[in-house]
Parts: sequence; structure tokens; C-alpha cells
Amino acid sequence: MTRFGKHPDSDAADLGAEALHGAVADAGIDPRLIEAAYVGHVFQGMVTGQRVLAQVGLAGLPLANVENACSSGATAIREASLAIRAGEHDVVIAIGTEHLTSKFRGALTPDPSDPEAAVGATMPSVYAMRARRYMEEFGMTREQLALIPVKNKSNAARNPLAHFRKEITVEDVLESRPIADPLRLHDCSPVTDGAAAVILMSDKAAKQHSNGRAVKLAASALRTGTVDVEPASMTFEPLTWATAQDAYERAGIGPEEVDFAEVHDCFSIAEVLRVEGLGLFKQGDYPSAVERGDANIEGRLPINPSGGLIGKGHPLGGTGVAQVVEIVRQLRGESGDRQIEGPRVGLAHCRGGKAVGIEGAACTVQILVR
Amino acid sequence: MSASAVGVSFRPGELEVRPDGTGNQLGSRCSACGAHFFPVREACSGCLSDQLETVRFSTEGTLYTFSIVRQSTPAFEVPYALGYVDFPEGVRIMGQISGIDLDEIKIGMPMVLSLEPFGEDEEGNPLTGYRFRPAEGN
Repeated sequence: MTRFGKHPDSDAADLGAEALHGAVADAGIDPRLIEAAYVGHVFQGMVTGQRVLAQVGLAGLPLANVENACSSGATAIREASLAIRAGEHDVVIAIGTEHLTSKFRGALTPDPSDPEAAVGATMPSVYAMRARRYMEEFGMTREQLALIPVKNKSNAARNPLAHFRKEITVEDVLESRPIADPLRLHDCSPVTDGAAAVILMSDKAAKQHSNGRAVKLAASALRTGTVDVEPASMTFEPLTWATAQDAYERAGIGPEEVDFAEVHDCFSIAEVLRVEGLGLFKQGDYPSAVERGDANIEGRLPINPSGGLIGKGHPLGGTGVAQVVEIVRQLRGESGDRQIEGPRVGLAHCRGGKAVGIEGAACTVQILVR
Repeated sequence: MSASAVGVSFRPGELEVRPDGTGNQLGSRCSACGAHFFPVREACSGCLSDQLETVRFSTEGTLYTFSIVRQSTPAFEVPYALGYVDFPEGVRIMGQISGIDLDEIKIGMPMVLSLEPFGEDEEGNPLTGYRFRPAEGN
């Protein structure tokens, strides 16, 4: 994957190409072994995937561009895995790329046709409302919520590819610019450029070509939100829960066996809702677990050791693939200063998009095993 | 408000504005199972029936949660309060909150629908949109 951050001198195709080269070098394969490509991106325009492949001279492959909001990259991985499971291909690359700084400044908003966008909804405000409700129902304090960006930016400071490399304090969070009460600037993931790529192989191809460092993708689940028949609780995520159940069942692995997770912390409150929706922590328990240090790299169940979206950055299309890159490196023991001790099972969770009346647009859960 | 001052609904499919200045939010009711949806849907996600009728929702509900938005798109002047209101039909609708100091808004407050000027169309004609304000005597 590329360094995440601001890349004023490159575009989504450049970043995607750099990520592709990195994945090919890491796998130690001839790039001509790649049979197909899936490329996730959101705001980069038509056929960005083809522009990535043209950049590196790989022409003629079957390629699909994938858009599923913040789950685009993760959905690209799932599509690649399905092509392999279907027996169609043996070596497939999944790429996620986004040059977001050239497309957006400040708060992201849902598509303008959405009735909630029409009355002033922004993504931070929707999560702010969930945070307010969670505080009311479970007694979470503003200081407890601030510990999540403190943790994630501390992890990011140990990640050379992260957007932010500076540790922050609870006071820094509470004194940062208000965005949508109760959320402040440090509660939000930044506008980031970046790309990541992973190469997936069938068992057969892995035996033949892998340099012995491959890890197993045990499950890659995808769901979209259902239309609410009754107003759903905004402090729990049935969509995350249902997608996780699909993944646990497919992998034959339960939440109690997960050693660490990369979850979609687009906002501080989102990390709370995600880990509880995944069944990794009981509903209402996560804020105090973070306070105890349970979610730290050295803790019982590290969450977002890469720095997460808040610390590492959030280039929409790149995010889901970068999560899997982090998990692969952690499982191989290649994560340097932020290495978790001896993990066996890692979980990646993304969810993205907003459409009125449905709980969430797209959610992915992937489980990787050493 | 005189009839001539009433603007056209900013989103006619979601907000009915009558010439006398009154109005309702519009959605769907499933004739088969009774579930309600906002906005209007073509089929019921509860029972998949396509026998849906367009209905006017109640104008009184309860504030489920809210936020004070301090950074937004150029279309909206900040700060403004945004909230979700639960209505008796079983729908939750987002809208801005008016008629109260921003620091006095509380979860659980009774709210009423309020039709208010809400921007202009492309030709500069005033549009009517909705906000929610605290119910009288609250």
C-alpha cells in the first residue's frame, strides 16, 4: 500500500499503480500471473481501474470497477475471492484507490438526492446523533469517547504509512474544533489520499507461487442494509451484526477466537458501535474496556492497531484493502513497532454509505487466519 | 400566513404544502401489514406487498436524538440543530430543529412539524420546507 496522506502530485491511477507494484513485490510473483482485477473507488470517475492497469502495462485482463461507498475496496476483495471460489481464476488482484483531497474538503455529505441531505445531513452529524443517543442510553462520557482517537492516533504514530504520526491527548480532542456536537475534529477521520492492493490466490496457485507468507482468507461477507419497518435503535448495528454472523459461520470461527480487528472508525463513536455490533464486546461495555486499555496493541483485544481510519486516514476506496494489508502484516509478524504478540485470527470490518430509511448501505466483514 | 405567501413544497413527494399554509409529511402505508415508511416506497420491506398507499403522517412526535451542526455544505448556514423525530406511525424522520435555543434541546422532547421557508427554486421563487419545533407549553 501507499503512504496514506495528502498526495498533491499524484492521482488515483498513480496511487493504485504504486499499490499494485507493492503487492506484486510482496508476493514475489511475475505480474503476468495476474488473471483478473477488481478495483474499488468512489469519487474517481469512470474506469479508474483501467487507468491503474494501463499505468503498469497490464492490458487485456478482465477488470471490474467496484463502488460500494466506504466498503468499495473491501467489496473488491470479496469479488476477487468469489472469482477464485467459482473456479474462474487462480490469481486475482484487488485494489482500492482514492485521491480524495482533489474531490472533497470538509464534511462528506450523502448524495444530494437523499431526503436527509436535503434537510442538512452531513456524515459527521449522523454519527454525532448516534453518539448523543449512546451517551444517553449507556452513560458514556465525552472523555471516554475521546480515548478512542487518543488510542488510534497513538497506534498511527507507530505506523510509517499513516496519515497522522503524532500522539494526542484527551484534552487535544476536547479542545479541537467542534464539527457536529458532541463530535469534534479529532473524532473524525481525515480527508486522505491513498491506495492499497492485495493478491488473492486459489489453494492450487498458492502452493505453486506463494513465497510461504500467504495467509488464509477464511471468510469475506457482504450485506446491504434492510429498509426499516420500525425505527431501528441507532446505538446498535443490526447490519454489522448480520454481516459478522455470515462471516463467522463461513469461517467456522466465533467472535471469541478473534485476536484483533480493524474496524470502520470513520468517527470515534463508530468504533464503539462496530465492535459491539461484531460481538467482540458486549453492548454498552466498549467505552470502559477502552478506558482499561483492553483495545490497545498490548491489550486483550487490540482494535485498529494500524491507527484505523482516524489515525491512518480514510481514502474511501483504499480503506477496506488497507485494513486487510494491516491484518496480513500483523499475522505474519511484520508490523514492527505496533506488532501484536502472536495473533492467529484477524477481522476486518467496513461499512459505508447512507440512504434514507435503510440502516446502512454496504457492510463487509472479512476474517483472515494465519 | 396568507395563501400567496405559501411557497411550493421543496420536495413535493415528501412534503405536502396546502394553499392555506398547512401541510404534512408524506410516506407509505402497507395495506397488507400496516407498516409505514418514509419516504414513499414501492413495496413493503416487511411483507413485500406492493399494495402501498400514500399517507399523511402525524405532525406530533418525540425527539429521538439531535446534534448541533457546525460544519456543513455551502447550502446551509451553520450552526443549526438537526434531529430525528419518532412519529406514532412508527417512522423516524430527520429534520432541522427551530424555535428553541440550541443549548436547550433535549432528547425526549415533544416536537411538532413546522412549515417554514426553505431556500428557493432555480428561478428564485421561495420554497417551503419543514423543520421540527418543540410542542407548545414545553
